[in-house]
Amino acid sequence: MKNKIIVGIFILILGSGFIFGILSKTQEISFFERRKLTSKEDLKEDFFANLDDYMSDQFLLRNELLKVSSIWNRFFLRNEEYNNVYTKKDSIIEKNYPMNQKSIDGFIDKMNSISTRYLKNSNVYYTILPDKSYFLEEGKELKMDFSSMKKQLNEEIKGVYIDILDEFTLEDYFKTDIHLKQNAYFKVIPTFTEKMNLKYQKKDYEEYKIDHFYGASFSKAPYLNQETITYYSNQEIKNTKVKHLEYGKRNVYDLTQLNNVDLYNVFLSGPSALIEIENNQSESSRELIVFRDSFGSSFVPLLIPYYQKITVVDLRYISDEKMAELISFDQKDVLFMYSTLLVNSSEILKVKK
Amino acid sequence: MVFSSISFLFFFLPLLFLIYFIVPKKLKNMVLLIFSLLFYYIGEKWYVILLLSSCLVNFLVGRKLSSKQKKSYLILGLVFNVGLLFYYKYTNFFIDNFNQILNFNFSTLQVVLPLGISFFTFQNISYLIDVYRNDTKEEKNLFAYFTYISLFPQLVAGPIVRYKDIRKELESRKESTNKFASGITRFTVGLGKKVLIADTLYYTYTAIMASNMSMMSYWVVALCFTFQIYYDFSGYSDMAIGLGSMFGFTFKENFNYPLISSSITEFWRRWHMSLSSFFRDYIYIPLGGNRCSILKNIRNILIVWILTGFWHGADWNFILWGFYFFCFLILEKFVLKKYLKNNIFSYLYTFLIVIFSFVIFSISDMKELVSFFQGMFGIGVEITNFESIYYLKNNFMILIVSFLGMGPLFKNIIIRLKKGKMNKVLSVLEVVFIIVVLILSIAVIISSTFNPFIYFRF
Repeated sequence: MKNKIIVGIFILILGSGFIFGILSKTQEISFFERRKLTSKEDLKEDFFANLDDYMSDQFLLRNELLKVSSIWNRFFLRNEEYNNVYTKKDSIIEKNYPMNQKSIDGFIDKMNSISTRYLKNSNVYYTILPDKSYFLEEGKELKMDFSSMKKQLNEEIKGVYIDILDEFTLEDYFKTDIHLKQNAYFKVIPTFTEKMNLKYQKKDYEEYKIDHFYGASFSKAPYLNQETITYYSNQEIKNTKVKHLEYGKRNVYDLTQLNNVDLYNVFLSGPSALIEIENNQSESSRELIVFRDSFGSSFVPLLIPYYQKITVVDLRYISDEKMAELISFDQKDVLFMYSTLLVNSSEILKVKK
Repeated sequence: MVFSSISFLFFFLPLLFLIYFIVPKKLKNMVLLIFSLLFYYIGEKWYVILLLSSCLVNFLVGRKLSSKQKKSYLILGLVFNVGLLFYYKYTNFFIDNFNQILNFNFSTLQVVLPLGISFFTFQNISYLIDVYRNDTKEEKNLFAYFTYISLFPQLVAGPIVRYKDIRKELESRKESTNKFASGITRFTVGLGKKVLIADTLYYTYTAIMASNMSMMSYWVVALCFTFQIYYDFSGYSDMAIGLGSMFGFTFKENFNYPLISSSITEFWRRWHMSLSSFFRDYIYIPLGGNRCSILKNIRNILIVWILTGFWHGADWNFILWGFYFFCFLILEKFVLKKYLKNNIFSYLYTFLIVIFSFVIFSISDMKELVSFFQGMFGIGVEITNFESIYYLKNNFMILIVSFLGMGPLFKNIIIRLKKGKMNKVLSVLEVVFIIVVLILSIAVIISSTFNPFIYFRF
């Protein structure tokens, strides 16, 4: 009897996977993992070479099995950094360790190289946003020495430093994503305005919510829950004109991105080499150029009232030489705003030394 | 194709079951042959022709081994097999070394090592020698011979199955629910060993090796090497034996808890038994074994162990690995034998020697190997540091699981429970165990982006 049950269960498990693999409709995108899945088209290219990826991507109850695997490794094998992430207070923290000295030196060189080449007549500011590993416990988890990173940046980067490193808590971040929630930036706006000689304006915003957000880290600890993105807008932001080098005209909060795998892209349409943001309602005539990574996407909209024009540059997608052909820096404010994740992996910035 | 993949478990295997158990008995071997060739083709593409050609030559030579010139045919067969292995596996090793030593500039061959060539070549050799010695009859059916050599369960990672051991089952075998069920249990145990333990250990030591290593880290990595190779290799053998059982075959055991041996001599009676018995029966004994002078005996042991090492891969670390075991086997034979009994010292000594051996096995770059051993002895590194303690703590559970699983602890518990008339409870537990391990393994395979495969150099 026992043997018959074993055979029955084995055949049932293997057979279900087999039949499902043949009959099921191909899923093209996984919102859960935020990636494109291997499709039947890939099978047509090379059936046997892509069969395993296809079957694995399209597997019956794939998302649930990813949860099982994660739970097995994290809670049974007690591997606290399974998939290179920690979980603390139900928040997924990407490991940012060890400190990459070469990358930090490279980051400083690149920032200074831009300052020397293009920003002689500009007001230069810079700030560093902590990634979530900043909230790990030293001596218990693998946490890099942020204070020595900050010290070196302060000593070597040319410009006014805006210190917001200690302004945030882990709760200010999305639980399943690396980024800060937009409302977390409200508390640092006064610091920015003070350092950048701007007059602080208390503005009213309306809250807009986007549900079913799976953050970039979600699939690494998929037993957590999906969450909600809240963005803040008002008539001034709605009237602001946004023009991307790649995509042309868009809105500040780009709702066409709701069909995208990454809902965070609703902020300034996600990855973009160069964006011009013009606010004709602004009382100011000043202009700002922001060099940023993805953290800046949700921060920059909150600076809109303070400038007539903001140019947002992402040096991961455009070289500094190409950028310099498109932008004039003279007499403008310039803000370098990067996360400690990027400082520790600065080789991706396209800056000529 | 590997056993621990979704395409094997949910495409290849169900399709094979479906066809194999539907077709009449006389077609079953043909179905197995076609699927075995498909299994090989999926991974190795047109090297499947090499596999078939090798089978064909050996089959034809085998047919001539009953003739008067059987010795000449045997030599012809051996030269063919060794030549084939040499060409694909060792030519570039020799060219590289000639170039380095004699300052030549011969270009290396553009050949890729066909997976499993060492296994199927040794099966072909064992067949020819067994037929030559009249230990078994020659196979007269070409397709049956093709099936024997290319049988997918043992094709890429062994065990080395001898023709005489499965000849009768190739002709006629009886599949049964009981055999199928025991095959499932064995296959699931093997899958769990490979996916849940060995692969986790691979990720563990990869992470530790990327950190700031202390002496303690080097020891943890060395332990991971040992456990990973054991669980991967014995897991593959379990899967092969289990798959064989599902189709009515009985393959011999390949591992018998080698990590709890009380001497290196015993270790090699328990580790990769199909390979060590191959070398014993086809190299060591024909050379004279131990029925000769001490010097000749030492020479015979040296030849066997250099060849054993070299069989595992065309690199100096494998030769060194074989030589390392030769040294300890000689030491035990002439000095340590009387001291190595069933005591804690013997077990610790063996385990330690085995750990060192798998460091040699795992690191092919000689400079890295020296540096690793320096690290193990604390030369140029701290004794311990935060990172090594962190990684040990973080991977403690997998090391404990590996440690507990290296002996027959669980097997003995089951035997005791059976004696205590707990059969019904055990039956339920066995079913639950299979379901849990199978689902966990599938979950881990699905979530993995890389499937470590240690046999690509064999």
